[in-house]
Amino acid sequence: MSQLPGFETEFDVVVIGAGHAGTEAAVAAARLGARVGLITSALETIGQMSCNPAIGGVAKGTVVREVDALGGIMGRATDLAMIQFRMLNRSKGPAVWSPRAQCDRGLYRRAVRSLLEQHTQLQTVQGTVARLLLTPDERRVLGVETIEGRCFGAKSVVITTGTFLRGRIHIGTETRIPGGRAGETATTHLAEQLEQAGLTVARFKTGTPPRIDGRSVDYSALEIQESEIEQFDYSWSHFWGAKRRQGSSIRHPAQMPCWITYLEAEGKKIIKDNIAKSAMYGGAISSRGPRYCPSVEDKIVKFPDAERHQIFLEPEGHDTTELYVNGLSTSLPVAVQLEILRSVRGLTNVRMNRAGYAIEYDYYPPTQLDPSLQVKVIPGLYFAGQINGTTGYEEAAGQGLVAGLNAALSIQRKQPIVLGRETSYIGVLVDDLVTRGVDEPYRLFTSRSEFRLTVRQDNALRRLGHIGIRLGIYSELEDSAIKARLEHEDAALRLAETSSIRPDQAAQILSGAGSAPLSHAVRIVEVARRQEIALDGLLRAVGLGADLDSEALVTVDLEIKYAGYFERERAQAERMRRMGDFSLDPDLEYGDMRSLSLEARQKLSNLKPHSLAQASRIPGVSPSDLQNLVIEIERRRRLAVTH
Amino acid sequence: MISAGTSAVQLEDTIVSVASAPGRGAVALVRLSGPNAFSIAAKHLRLPPPEPRVSQLCDVFDGEQKLDQALVTLFPSPGSFTGDNTVEFSTHGGYLVPSTIVAALISSGARQATPGEFTRRAVLNGKLDILQAEAIGDLIDASSHIMQLTALRQLDGGLSRRLLSLRNDLIGLEALIAYDVDFPEEDDGPVPRSRIDQAAEGIASSLEALLSTVPAGEVIREGAIVVIVGPPNAGKSSLFNALLGRSRAIVTEMPGTTRDALEAVIDSGKWPLRLVDTAGLRETEDRIERLGMEVSERYMRSAQIVLACAEDSRSLEEIVSLVSSSSTAPILAVLTKSDLVSKRDESLLSRTVIPVSAETGTGLRELLCAIDEALDTRHGEIIPDLPILTRARHRNAISTASSELKQFTEAWREEKLPATVAAVHLRTAVYSLEELIGAVEVEDVLDRVFSSFCVGK
Repeated sequence: MSQLPGFETEFDVVVIGAGHAGTEAAVAAARLGARVGLITSALETIGQMSCNPAIGGVAKGTVVREVDALGGIMGRATDLAMIQFRMLNRSKGPAVWSPRAQCDRGLYRRAVRSLLEQHTQLQTVQGTVARLLLTPDERRVLGVETIEGRCFGAKSVVITTGTFLRGRIHIGTETRIPGGRAGETATTHLAEQLEQAGLTVARFKTGTPPRIDGRSVDYSALEIQESEIEQFDYSWSHFWGAKRRQGSSIRHPAQMPCWITYLEAEGKKIIKDNIAKSAMYGGAISSRGPRYCPSVEDKIVKFPDAERHQIFLEPEGHDTTELYVNGLSTSLPVAVQLEILRSVRGLTNVRMNRAGYAIEYDYYPPTQLDPSLQVKVIPGLYFAGQINGTTGYEEAAGQGLVAGLNAALSIQRKQPIVLGRETSYIGVLVDDLVTRGVDEPYRLFTSRSEFRLTVRQDNALRRLGHIGIRLGIYSELEDSAIKARLEHEDAALRLAETSSIRPDQAAQILSGAGSAPLSHAVRIVEVARRQEIALDGLLRAVGLGADLDSEALVTVDLEIKYAGYFERERAQAERMRRMGDFSLDPDLEYGDMRSLSLEARQKLSNLKPHSLAQASRIPGVSPSDLQNLVIEIERRRRLAVTH
Repeated sequence: MISAGTSAVQLEDTIVSVASAPGRGAVALVRLSGPNAFSIAAKHLRLPPPEPRVSQLCDVFDGEQKLDQALVTLFPSPGSFTGDNTVEFSTHGGYLVPSTIVAALISSGARQATPGEFTRRAVLNGKLDILQAEAIGDLIDASSHIMQLTALRQLDGGLSRRLLSLRNDLIGLEALIAYDVDFPEEDDGPVPRSRIDQAAEGIASSLEALLSTVPAGEVIREGAIVVIVGPPNAGKSSLFNALLGRSRAIVTEMPGTTRDALEAVIDSGKWPLRLVDTAGLRETEDRIERLGMEVSERYMRSAQIVLACAEDSRSLEEIVSLVSSSSTAPILAVLTKSDLVSKRDESLLSRTVIPVSAETGTGLRELLCAIDEALDTRHGEIIPDLPILTRARHRNAISTASSELKQFTEAWREEKLPATVAAVHLRTAVYSLEELIGAVEVEDVLDRVFSSFCVGK
């Protein structure tokens, strides 16, 4: 096969791009034993946070924990770089708690790089990939060639080029710079080749706000938002060595506050007066951006009645005073950006280090991928991250993990990993991408999941650990750490169910929470069912569970409190799994299935779903179409048997 | 949902059945439907088959033997009732002719259709949804004008659309809850509680409105039970017969649940009525007491209207008070033999009475109007655009949705549960509506729905 001259190295898997998708893909493949080449234009920017310096958030925080549960590095790097932490939605119950961490950019990058280097199977390469080397029929990858002329063999290739494919930066209507990120060049060769291979390409845009010099800020005019660090680590890998259990969290860097201020009438007027000079409103960009991560221009145009808009000033790290102006993403000309900033309370004399900008880039509508994130028409080629039309570091990482695992599994001729929607947000993400496609940059929300009570940030190990164990991706230490954590959960549940608590033991806790006192001793589980009473306090009151992981206790507490509700979700998950087991042949001809609506026939033909469950989620395929599809298939199957 | 039941996968068969009611009649309809309908039909026709959708007079043969002269129409797929190729033979009526034609078609490879199979195929071929299929059953069974209208409305998809829109409203409400979780730090702050309250109330009242049609739906399907009571020789039987005689159509006349009463369904006014004549009650010494006992046991509990009859005002007062002690149904006081009642007598009465003469027919119209009014008051006017629930299946699904929504609202208002946990109730409500439309556990629904159909529909 490899008659092409001069492969410098024969890798199993080559990953192009070393952002949040690429690094996870590389690690995942390496954990499966593949020899991995991770190629990036600049080794210094491995793990770069291109936009805001935060990891996590609603649904995203859960993804970080899922990536971590399957051996990824995002959670570990965040733990090492975290300078502010908040648990979002804390008031809405632990079932929807959403961890989010601000990171020191520099620490994060370095953490990622050193975590990569712990994998001996993994080699990082500086270079810009010019083209894929394909078999003559262009239906299989052989390797890659960089613009410097270096050739590497690969059995699978994962492309995670982010916004770099034909990226174009806009500042105002005049300034257009080809580039994948401020100060870094875009990639065009690879984009052309992919288009020639027959892949459909489309454009999205996204934006980023200006960054300012913290020494020019009047902090006395701002509201402070302190870190609420308690004992939170994203990663379970720190579980070993019993450090957590004894209450000594991994040492995060010293914590730094964020600052809150507002864009008010004056700033709004400046934007309104200059709206035509914005790249997005002046006609320079026509592609779609994310609705839920709007530019400040969007906010002013779409919500003219809002009195003011919140702005978070987020520290970039310990090694700099630079602040990220969250909430002010813009593509207005530099001079206008400065004017807006100076209209904001506390920023009257601000100095702007970097201007905000909008960036347009290529993505490949992800319905061209199968559920393993493999390009349907080029087996062995995988896409992950923004190239699939998503936004967000966490979404990229989740896809990178899936693509990396599958790139390695396909070489070993093993079944691909497809995470079900009921197992994880990553499962929801990948399924949405390959089944529904995207019409704006895709971000995860809890509302995208049917299973937002049972798929939580606290139980990712329970949901995914067994998969990792089956794949054999953990070290011995990790393996036992995971088992230990799950054993803690089992032990906590056992204690709650078998031990009882006397009225006098519970009195203080109950009266403190305004809960009715006990009349006689009952099993702890009975009291823990009360909304207002936490399990760990009850256990402590009877002198039990002190050696159990505090997070395992939270998980068990939730399972006790909402058992009936969780049960309903799990029953639904079971139903979905059954539909998932009803597999659909990719060669199935939908065109002549008369009982299906025309729209359903077209959509099914285009997408070729792999299971009934996937078919059920294709927009345009109705419940009655689905029902008729089952009958049609059953009929054909029986015909095939009788003839 | 996955396991396609045996009944559902025999779509390869071509099926045949007499579609019209059995018995003596001028014409009968034989329906043949399935992939081989055209070729099977061709074996029994000498002429080249007619153009699609054009009726043509043809001789129908079995081998050399001519069976009948029939009007034959071909409906090519998908433009037929079932969605499959279909041939309809309008044959001469009676028992023999249509049966021999069915037998001949079976000998050429068709199969006798099972009950409801034509409609089932229409559903499986995407021609009808389940609610529409039910409407066809109702239409066929329709014994009253209003049932016919209700079924037609449902066949038109009115109920399906209504349910889909409620389902979307519920999903919208769930999205509001999710928004709160998904955007904890937005400028706008959380969704105002009042917005969620209002959305929940709106859906709850729509569900209630649908549920409130259940009694009306029952009356539409079954007829309102109107019990005629009164002392012996009060003219009950005459009134019963006069009402039957006046009605547009006597649909059924059957013995009552006991030999002691006669029951007949009439479709005279707005609502279909099941008229119950207790005239055959044995008369004992202590007859009034006896009457009260028997009638209350048998009919008073289920009566929607009681017609209290008497010849004079004194015994009318007596019977009315007796009835009101044993029934909650509205009582209409009827003075029978009104031609014999004096004005003075009438004025003595404390309540509105309807004077009726079975002999001359005067007052019957007023009586029927009074019955309709009383039913309107009880069940609400029939509003043309509001779908009416006519089946237990509908009622069960919608009351599940309604009670789940109530549980959500309660948990939400009193903050008993985190909103996202409470929202599980909303999802359950959505599923129960989906099941009604046919989306979930399909095979289950199909079996339940189609078991109530007869051959040939």
